Amino acid sequence: MAYLVLARKWRPQNFTDLIGQEHVSQTLANAIRSGRVHHAFLFTGARGVGKTSAARILAKALNCEAGLSDQPCGTCASCMEITASHGLDVIEIDGASNTGVDDVRELRENIRYLPNRSRFKIFIIDEVHMLSTNAFNALLKTLEEPPEHAKFIFATTEPHKIPITILSRCQRFDFRKIPTSRVAGRLREIADAEKLTISDRSLSLIARQGEGSMRDALSTLDQVIAFSGDEVEDDAVQTLLGMVDRRLLLDTVEAVLQRDSRRALDAVRRIDQLGLALKQFTQDLLEMFRGMVICKVVEDPAEMLDLVGDELKGLKTLAEEASLEDLQRVVTLLLKTQSELVNSNYPLLTLEMSLVRLANLSPSQNLARLISHIESLEKRLGETAPPPRKMPSAQPRPAQETPPPKKPEAPVAVKTANKGWQGLVEQVRQSRPMLGSVLEHGRPLKLELPTLEIGYPNGSFMISQLQEQQITQDLEALATAYFGQPVKLLVSGIDSSQQSAPPSLVETRQAKETDRMRRLREDAVGHPALKSVQEIFNGTIKKVIPIDKGFV
Amino acid sequence: MTFDQILGHEHQKEILRRGLVNGRIAHAYLFSGPDGIGKRLMAMALARAIVCLEQRGCGHCQACRKIDHQNHPDLHILEPDGSSIKIEQVRAFQRDLNLKPLEASRKICMIEQAETMTAGAANALLKTLEEPRGDTLLILLTAQPNRLLETIRSRCQPLPFTRHPNSRIQAELEKQLGIDATESHVLAALSEGSFKKAFGKDRELYLEQRRDLLKTLTGLSSGSILPILDFAEQLAADKTILIDILEIFQAFFRDVLMTLEGRGDEELVNLDLKHKVHRVAAHENVASILDKLDALMTVRRQLDRNVNRQLAMEVLLLKLAA
Ligand SMILES: [Zn+2]
Ligand SMILES: [Zn+2]
Repeated sequence: MAYLVLARKWRPQNFTDLIGQEHVSQTLANAIRSGRVHHAFLFTGARGVGKTSAARILAKALNCEAGLSDQPCGTCASCMEITASHGLDVIEIDGASNTGVDDVRELRENIRYLPNRSRFKIFIIDEVHMLSTNAFNALLKTLEEPPEHAKFIFATTEPHKIPITILSRCQRFDFRKIPTSRVAGRLREIADAEKLTISDRSLSLIARQGEGSMRDALSTLDQVIAFSGDEVEDDAVQTLLGMVDRRLLLDTVEAVLQRDSRRALDAVRRIDQLGLALKQFTQDLLEMFRGMVICKVVEDPAEMLDLVGDELKGLKTLAEEASLEDLQRVVTLLLKTQSELVNSNYPLLTLEMSLVRLANLSPSQNLARLISHIESLEKRLGETAPPPRKMPSAQPRPAQETPPPKKPEAPVAVKTANKGWQGLVEQVRQSRPMLGSVLEHGRPLKLELPTLEIGYPNGSFMISQLQEQQITQDLEALATAYFGQPVKLLVSGIDSSQQSAPPSLVETRQAKETDRMRRLREDAVGHPALKSVQEIFNGTIKKVIPIDKGFV
Repeated sequence: MTFDQILGHEHQKEILRRGLVNGRIAHAYLFSGPDGIGKRLMAMALARAIVCLEQRGCGHCQACRKIDHQNHPDLHILEPDGSSIKIEQVRAFQRDLNLKPLEASRKICMIEQAETMTAGAANALLKTLEEPRGDTLLILLTAQPNRLLETIRSRCQPLPFTRHPNSRIQAELEKQLGIDATESHVLAALSEGSFKKAFGKDRELYLEQRRDLLKTLTGLSSGSILPILDFAEQLAADKTILIDILEIFQAFFRDVLMTLEGRGDEELVNLDLKHKVHRVAAHENVASILDKLDALMTVRRQLDRNVNRQLAMEVLLLKLAA
């Protein structure tokens, strides 16, 4: 029941089959024709772009029984063995499974022997970056004095992990991601050979899914065939790839551009109901906005976008309606959302927040106007309060225009006669500063004359001070004078967890200060001009400094 | 577990069914999607369909039963040993893959939490994925496909699973737990489309304590520090519960945001507290709510990095009370 996946069935067997890597094949072919072949090669590049295939083709070319050739025959015993990946003189080593120094030592032993029957003994080490440092060192000795009959081909996706000493002894080839159109072209050849009925549009979608990797694209094509059999409908491909309906995407793009958060949220609802992946949706949305940016800045965007016909035209039309700054801000925000989605504990909310934000972006202004705006603002700052904070929105909604929140009242200090507790403390401070400061830290638990009860945390230094008889008497006298009637002073200890006690003056002042700083910050942060500055320069607010204490 | 017994995921079932019918089951799949939505069940169903003596994953034959009991000689399950899957584990099953299957037509290997493979383990697996023997089937399961090596992902047939719609989870909660519609709505809405999450929720916390917690939260005022400090201390006491509580707060402020955006009540999580939601919404605006939600998201990330919980909660509550 097992079948050979397309990527293996259609593995390139000749330099000419290596699509998108012509710069590599040509150089290699030239070297072979001229007979000057380096003894060590390093093939680098992303997954699935042809590194291992190129290594095998090179091995065939070096060892073909028909002679050293850039076009190995493919039919001799050597060529066929290599194709089947068990060549007698071509040793394929999986760098990941043979990482140790012992493995490399064994390899060095092996190198000393002459090839069994071919011209060269060829060592292909895949994922070579996985070798240990010791293994690399052992390998280095071999590379410094390689025997005439040995050739090395290393392949890796992560060249930066390879020691410079090794790198400098290899001829390096960087494999590129393959353009979508080339992948689609190859898919067409394979589809025809496999007698598949499938449209160019579907093949192009599949190619795009591969993101420059032929193997990924072929793997997707495998999946499509597994799903549809030999007759592939466009709809099936779209469903299978979990692709978001284009109309839904266009609708969301429009909603964002028109600052219509309701419609944007409707789209999220539908994505969610359809069970589509939020990440994919964000990715697709990002692609569209990126495409619009490219439409704005590039003369002929068709090639860069891998788009043709109606899709390209639609994108261009959308782009005309938006400003470049706007689009760039959307792209920036969506990029952020995309990375947040990866680790979000609540992905739906992350996406919802992002779309609400996008639909509330204030329309961008050009830089010159913005700067003059800031300058005039700076001038005004000294004189009056800034304009009231307002949510930038093209379509103000009633809910946003409600007055600033009224907070529930804090537990209020007991209020009595004329100036009450606060007045008393002020009075005491004038004649007895130390005592006044002790009172400032006390909580007025009860002020129902003649009783005055002050609370301090249990075991605190202040409570012991106030419980001294002399001090109690002095304080009673001062309070009696202040209130104009006899006062009985009680000092009680309180639990720090007791929340019902009214706050001390110190605590109230601290709270006020925090609250003032917070409001100051809020005003500054909420200011439309500052918002624009942040968005455009992608800045963060480090500190808000009050210019004038009486200002808020 | 047969395909039919798995709730939902019709699309994924169809892909696998057709693969079976067309003889095009790949040699390696990557099942990705949130935890607790049925990836493992689907993998077991696929394993049964392959080994079944009646060739349909009947569930009754000896082979199917061996899969269910995880003692089929051709089924290997690789799980993290401690916090990761190690290279020795991969090597061990690779040695076994070199042998012919004993009873079934293929050897099947399931790799759970595949993202926990160490770099060595993952790289060692590459060759097996690239050119496995014809008679093997690897199924990698992960909730975090982005943490897998690109080279691994690229060598597997991807099969992404998505969250279950809330309505399905709600119906199942009502059926199995016998709770009422409002309660099941709240649990389902907080489940992120995962059955495991919905059923694993601490119902006492999510249903009863949620109301008290939100009452305390909405009663806070930035002008009065002590209650904030006390509440922060209370919240910081238990990290495991704290994460759930933060989720409750997130859901509440999300409800407020949705209300401000003019969404209907049916989209609320806290359906039973809609009056409170409306009351809070009347004093907020979109920008202020987004700030609060940001603060919650930030604190979630901080908790993963083991910050001082008490301090983090104080800062958070000051922002939420503002
Ligand atoms: Zn040949
Ligand atoms: Zn059976």
